[in-house]
Parts: sequence; structure tokens; C-alpha cells
Amino acid sequence: MLDTLYVVILIGTGLILLAAFSSLLAFRFGAPILLVFLSIGLVAGVDGFGLDFDNPPLAYFIGSLALAIILFDSGFGTSLQSFRHAAAPALTLATVGVLLTTALFAAAAVLLLDLSWLQGALLGSIVGSTDAAAVFFLLRIGGINIRERVRATLEIESGSNDPMAIFLAIALVELLRSGSGFEAMDWNFLIQFAKQLGIGGVLGLVGGWMILQLVNRLSLERGLTPIFTIALSLLVFSVTGALGGSGFLAVYVAGLLTGNSHIRSATSIRRFQEGMSWLAQIVMFLVLGLLATPSQFAAIALPAVGLAFFLIFIARPLAIWFCLLPFRFSRNETAFISWVGLRGAVSILLAILPIIGGIDSERVFFNTAFIIVLVSLLMQGWTIGFMARRLGLIVPPRIGPVEKLELELPGTAHHELLSYRVVAGSPVARGQRLPRWARPSLVVRDGKSMRLQYAGRLQENDYVYLFISSRYPRLLDRLFASPVPFEPDDAEFFGEFTVEPGRPARLLAESYGIDLGNVTPETTVAELMVERLGGHAEYGDRVAVGSVELIVRDTDDAGEIAEVGLSLTPDTKPTLPLFHNFRDIVSVLRQTPKRRRKVEASKAKEPPSLLLTPPVAESHRDGDGDGKPM
Amino acid sequence: MDLGDLIEQDAILPALKANSKKQVLQDLAQKAAELTGLAERDIFETVLQREKLGSTGVGNGIAIPHGKLEGIDRIFGVFARLAKPVEFDALDEQPVDLVFLLLAPESAGADHLKALSKVARLLRNPDTVEKIRSSRAASALYAVMTQSASRAA
Repeated sequence: MLDTLYVVILIGTGLILLAAFSSLLAFRFGAPILLVFLSIGLVAGVDGFGLDFDNPPLAYFIGSLALAIILFDSGFGTSLQSFRHAAAPALTLATVGVLLTTALFAAAAVLLLDLSWLQGALLGSIVGSTDAAAVFFLLRIGGINIRERVRATLEIESGSNDPMAIFLAIALVELLRSGSGFEAMDWNFLIQFAKQLGIGGVLGLVGGWMILQLVNRLSLERGLTPIFTIALSLLVFSVTGALGGSGFLAVYVAGLLTGNSHIRSATSIRRFQEGMSWLAQIVMFLVLGLLATPSQFAAIALPAVGLAFFLIFIARPLAIWFCLLPFRFSRNETAFISWVGLRGAVSILLAILPIIGGIDSERVFFNTAFIIVLVSLLMQGWTIGFMARRLGLIVPPRIGPVEKLELELPGTAHHELLSYRVVAGSPVARGQRLPRWARPSLVVRDGKSMRLQYAGRLQENDYVYLFISSRYPRLLDRLFASPVPFEPDDAEFFGEFTVEPGRPARLLAESYGIDLGNVTPETTVAELMVERLGGHAEYGDRVAVGSVELIVRDTDDAGEIAEVGLSLTPDTKPTLPLFHNFRDIVSVLRQTPKRRRKVEASKAKEPPSLLLTPPVAESHRDGDGDGKPM
Repeated sequence: MDLGDLIEQDAILPALKANSKKQVLQDLAQKAAELTGLAERDIFETVLQREKLGSTGVGNGIAIPHGKLEGIDRIFGVFARLAKPVEFDALDEQPVDLVFLLLAPESAGADHLKALSKVARLLRNPDTVEKIRSSRAASALYAVMTQSASRAA
């Protein structure tokens, strides 16, 4: 008996170590790490080294627990600010998007796999949600610096669409089990749905508040606090589930609430969560990999791969395009969002449900879902960075690297103790004075500590320790950051020239002969941009004004536009002829007759000798034509 | 588009001595007035108006002041290599030593923007800029600019 205990622990830890170790390799080759974990599970499993793990209920149990931990952590790490800016598009995607994808996919599944409509819908809901772990991981750790709104939309979508897909999958399994068809889907179904989300949301908020109160009020041993927090989050998960709400939604909401409030020992909780999240992902992917039987894949491989392509190239793009119509995303951004529709552990996890429900004895659902996840991780996961660059969505880094260390203060103090190393070329090293609120308490130079008044001007390689209010670190980072090298490529992104945001916009009209529409003479460039952006401007945002484009080069601490770039020939960037949003559609409809008239007009009158290129409409379309790399 | 269409050799000042941004712009305006027959004051005011919107210093010691004005019959450039760099409130706070003034007729529209973009791209190429900085004569500068531009085209 004891022998088997040790053997099980040995195998378990061996697999986890192997997975952790393989992450090193994955980073080097840029392979999606989750795919690596999954492969380890597959290789160790029944068709590989022969670990025969065939316990779907246990796998579902472990997977759900792991998913709850991951979702709490994703909520914890999502800033409320980015949540606010991206909530509307993200939540549309998480609800309407999932439904649409499911419906479209169902049609294809009925055709390709010869399923009934209800079965097709079940398969659709299984692969209907994007994977939070995969999306977070690939966007954050992959070092892909894209516009904040796009990133936040993708992250929040992936964090919040699981409950929808889970609910759909469970409901459809129930329907299939009872042997009834779609006609059994009545108002009760909708009420159930509202109840799941309602109870989940409310208990998530209540639970988050409870976690905050308990962690902040009880003076627990410091080492215990993160454990306490995670146990409480699982309590929220289980209680909500037991009361008929969506536990997954509840933990996500609770994480969002606690992560954005002043919680005690936030840093150590965050670090612990990060570790737990990793462990949960490794375990979940390993277990799911172990559960699969790859030798069965061959039978279903062809239609499954076909379905995966349908999902990637047709169902998701259509659903995304439709959901994002009313929001102001550029075509390339919409394309990118539909490309980052990574399927992952959640889909495989949900594919266990039909097995448990006894309606998938052939494991058609499970194996198909598994293959779809593999294809998605391979194809999309591997090419996210490439796609982002190709679509011109990579934003140049905002400030240079900073060398800093954050130290935790006891209790819920509103100050932080920061330590910076003064790096060569940073504003402070070049003699910029620190503001009053950031006077260092201590300077360490050549291993000797001294107060600022004895240290005089800060020098390279000094270590500076200072206490500041937690509102300010961003501003301070800038003072200690290494200079951003002035890259010629930046001009591709930010345009050739700069414009002062506080100047009147009519100057733009005068200098470049642009039609601004109806703006008052006092309207500043920044005001014009904010208005066109729908009230909020953010680093990297672009506003087309006539034939030029204004780009937010920088924002200040209050979120106001601080620097503006001006691109004279925005048309040289390739845009897809797909994914028009409402604005695009309207402008296309409006432009077509106008352009036609313009071309005719310029044909009618003899082009003046100064024209170096064909008429306006033409030169507009062909860009510059000099083969500039994107 | 060839840069030769935008600038002529007479419009190149290989070693302009100036102490300030204002003086640079004045000297360039004077040269442009000389070659086009327009009033120097009009040219200067036009360019200054654009500078009010934000400095045309694009970084790496380069500035491209520009503007549209009545009476000029084509897109017209004047280039100066400064003997001593001057402060130009540029984006990267570096003093400027290469200045390309570009004037365009009111009706130029998209061509104005394309010409500007062309000049900006030419002066973004580190090799070209280095060659320009190491050239002393107007003819040599003219050759570097037109050749680099046609190669890039």
C-alpha cells in the first residue's frame, strides 16, 4: 500500500518537474507552453509510456478546481481601469460571441460529423470559449506589446466567457440525457441561465468583499495570508456552485474585486497566486493529456481538423466581427482579436461532461474537442506574435527598462517602499531633480549608505530607497528609466511629425488643408482626438483626420494626452479588406460616390504641372508604392 | 517620386551659420524667397505658423519645417546643413543640424503630404544621414539626396 503511495507521488512529481523544466525549452523556441504540458500528458499516457489514467470524473474534478484557481488569479491581476475600458466589447464577446460561435460551429459539426443539431450545439458550446490561461500567458509572457484596449478585451473575454460556455455545455448535456430535443428549451432555460449568472455575479461580489474584510481584519501569520485567501476563493467557488450559481463567474468577480482593492500583503498574495496558477495549469493540462487516448484520434482526425479550421477561419471571425461592429476597433485589431481565439483546457474539460453524462461512449466529443484544441494551440498559439507584427499592432515600448524593487509595508499602508538603481542615461542620472514627494530616504553608493543631502546629485549605479504614495509609481518609473532608443521604426507607428496636444486643431486644418468637419475654433488637438475616440484616449490610439492620422504618443498620469504623433501617409499600412466596423461601413458608403466624383472632376480639368502623381483618389489607394517594409 | 523634383542644387546651403531656430527659419525663408520670388516674410510666417502646432524637429538632429502658401507654383524645397547645431525643441531634445524646408502650393493636397513623407523617410535612413553629414559641397549634398532617394524608390 505504501509502495504505491510513493510510486504515485514519484510519477506525479516527476511529470510536474518535467513540465516545469520544459518551460525553459518552450521559451527558447517560442512554442506555446501549454501545448508542451499537454504533450507531456499525452506522451506519458496510455498510448505513450503507458500510464493508464481513465477516470473522467476525477479529471473533471481536478480540472474544475484548477480552473477556479486560474480564474481567481486572472481576476486578481486584471486592473479595474482596463476592465472599465474594455468591459463592453469583452462582455459582448463573452456572451453573444460564445452563442454565435456555438451556433455557427454547430451547423458545421452537423454536416461533418453527422450529429444531430442538439449534439452539434453541444460540441459548439464545448469549444465555444477561449482559454483564459492560454490567452493571458501568450499575451503577457510572450512579451507582445499591443494596444491596451485590445489586450484588455482579449483578456477579459477569455476570463469571462468560460461561465457562458460551461452553462451551455451542462444544459445541453442535460437535454441530451433526458432524450428531449430543442423543443425542451423553453423559458426555463433562460431563467436557469439568468440565475446562474445572477447568483454567480452577486456571490462573487459578496465573496470578494468578505475575502477583503477577513484578510485585512484578521492579523494572520504572514505566511498564511495567501493560503487563507486562496482557500476563501475556493469557498466562494463552492458555495456559489452549491447554491445554483456559476462558481467560475463568482471566483473571477471575487478576484477582480480583491485584486483592485487595498488588500493586505498584496505582493505576497500575488506571488503566491502566480505560483499556484502555474501549478494549476500544469496539473490541469497533464491530467487532460493523460486522460486522452491518442490512438483513437485517427478515426476522427479528418473531420475534427476540418472543424478546427472552420472554427478558426470562419466561425470565430464572423462572430467577432458581428460583436465588435458597434465598437471602435480598427479592422486589423478585429482580425487580431479573432485570431487570438485560443481554445485550451476549458474546452477539454467541458468535453469530459458528455462522458460523465453517459452520452459519449465512443468519445466522439472528447476526441474532437481535443484535436481542435491541439490545432488551435499549434496554429494560433504559435503565430500570435507574428500576427501582431504583421497586422502592425505592436506598440513601441513606452519607457526604457527600469531596475526597481518593491518592498511590502505592513498592513494596508497606502505607501510603497521602492528601490531603484540609477541607470545610465535615465533622467535622474542626467541631473533631473526628483519631485518633493519622491525624496529618497536613503542612497547607497559604492556599498555605503548615506542620506540624500550628503549624496548630492544622484550618480549612475546609485541605489535609491524611497517611500511614496501608491498613486505615483508610474511617474517615478519614468525618471529612473533608461532612455528609449529613438528607433526609426517608431516613425512607422507614430508618424513622421509631432503635434502639441494643447494647440488649436484648426492649425492642423490650415497647415495640411484637412477638412475637420464642424469643430469650434478653440477645440484643441487633444480635445478633437478624445472626442473622436469616444471620450477616452490611450497610448497608441489612432484617429484618422482627413487624409492624415493622429496618434497618441504618450499620456500623462491623469490619462490626458501628453504627446501626439502625426502620420502623413497612414494608408501605407496594410489593412485587411475585411472586418469593417460601423464607422468604416458608413465611411465606405459615403466615400464611394464622392470618390467617383472626385476622380471624374480631376479627369475633367487638366492636371496642373506641379502634380507629381496621379489624382487624389488614385494616389491614396496605391500608398507610396516604394516597397517600404511594414 | 524623385527628390530631384523637390529640390535643386541652388537651394542647398552646405554650411549655414545660425544661432537659433528662428534664425535658421529666417535664413531658409530668405533663400526660398530668393529662388521663388515670393516675399520672405510670407514664407517665414507660414513656416512659423506650422511650428506653433509643434516642433518639426523629428529627432536625430533633423528638422523638416514646412507649410502651404499662395503664389508658389510647385512643391519647393530648401536644404541647409548647419555649421553648428541649434536647439529646435525637437522630440528627442537633441539639437538640430540638418534642416529641410518644404513649401507647397495651397492646392497641392495629397502631393504635399506625400512629398513630406518622402523627405522624412529619406532623412530617417542612417546611411543617408551620415553621408549628408560628411559632405561639404552643395553638389555633393545634392547628389547624396537624389541618389539615395531614387534608390529607395
